[in-house]
Amino acid sequence: MRLPQKSLLLVAFMLLGVISLKAQCFSFAKNVGKAKLGEYIHDGNYNATVLSEGEKAELFKTFFEGQKYRVSISKIESLPTIHFRVVERSGKVIFDNSNHNYSLVWDFEVESTQMLIVEMEVLERKVQDNDIISGCVAVLFGVEPDKK
Amino acid sequence: MKRNLAKPFFYFFAILAISASFTACISGSKDKKATEEDKIVESVTVDGKVMDDFKKSKLIFYSLPSPLETAMLIKRAGATYNEDLLNPLNNLEKYTTNRQMALNLGIYSADLSYTSLFDQTQSSIKYMANTKKLAEGLGIIDAIDENTLRKLENNMNNRDVMMDIISETFMTSNAYLTENDRPAIAVMVLVGGWMEGLYLATRLTDGSLESNQRLIDRIVYQKLSLYTVINLLEDYKDNEDINYLLTKTNELKVIFDQVKIINTSKVEATTDAEKKVTTIKADSETYISDDVFDKLLEKVAEIRNEFVS
Repeated sequence: MRLPQKSLLLVAFMLLGVISLKAQCFSFAKNVGKAKLGEYIHDGNYNATVLSEGEKAELFKTFFEGQKYRVSISKIESLPTIHFRVVERSGKVIFDNSNHNYSLVWDFEVESTQMLIVEMEVLERKVQDNDIISGCVAVLFGVEPDKK
Repeated sequence: MKRNLAKPFFYFFAILAISASFTACISGSKDKKATEEDKIVESVTVDGKVMDDFKKSKLIFYSLPSPLETAMLIKRAGATYNEDLLNPLNNLEKYTTNRQMALNLGIYSADLSYTSLFDQTQSSIKYMANTKKLAEGLGIIDAIDENTLRKLENNMNNRDVMMDIISETFMTSNAYLTENDRPAIAVMVLVGGWMEGLYLATRLTDGSLESNQRLIDRIVYQKLSLYTVINLLEDYKDNEDINYLLTKTNELKVIFDQVKIINTSKVEATTDAEKKVTTIKADSETYISDDVFDKLLEKVAEIRNEFVS
């Protein structure tokens, strides 16, 4: 009888952990990520998840001609630096934040509609241990409002 | 969103989840003043082999043009407002299944964005009330409450605030569904919103390729978004409702496959580091015949009318 109880406890802990991290991710995206869009209007899409150092993510998005977009990537402070690039489907690099002090907020003015990929990688810390830091990363898009 | 993960991730995540729970409990009792960020960060020790395998994994997101972005694209293309195109408010009572509620939450969100961008504030409030009811029907808690409606009413003359409210309610609904393990429903909401945007755009051309070239371009380039829609749906194709949507979008793909988008030059990017702006340009040509355009209009209307009925 003891073993199933332990298993249930294990499953319960797993579920609690996942739910807790996920729920905090939304709160993080809403309170921290959205503010970084500044005067740009958030498009309303929710792209956030828990990432760990060394982990990569890709986001496919169509950028429309005539629009100016602000891409804002937010991460919890303790998570290492995020390397982000915007690439064409052919692999050609359009933007690489490693050339710009790993900036996590950047604007894109689009003169011809393109499907582009936002690539992100949580860089690894230089310390030599087997610990992995995980935390929320939110990628939000803002659209420039009409000029008044 | 999909994750290309194998077994190692399961083991890693099990360890992570357990540690996360314990860490959260411990830190909660130790320091009540922990910041929001402190609560989100976790650190776990894992075996080197598991870690190596884990790092090979990759998350993939597909981001569709949201109802708000689509409405902005329509307006900036010089299109006009036509209330007759919207999904009638009194259709609400027809929606009883999860699929109907999810699709029409997306559809009413698109209509809400459209009315708001064209300063149709009374209609915006009514469409917001309908999205609230559908969100409640889907069990989405607190996405849209009485406070949201009041805030909308109090800012009827401030379009930026209205758009902010709309964007936030859409994000809250989407996040709630995603994070409560109902991603298939979240995808249905997104697809409903995208389809309504496409429906509005196609109808606003008055059926003519000559009427508004910018709007036609917006429609043609939805061929790229369709790729995103299909990939999103493919992730959950075991779900019966998603499978139905996949069938519908594949019917649309047959027509979009006959639309040509050709980049006639390489994509060039110039970056202004000081202003933190990158400009993306490429020469491209699009082609859609009268016949294909007619078929597209017909198919979009057929699918959308099926969604709202």
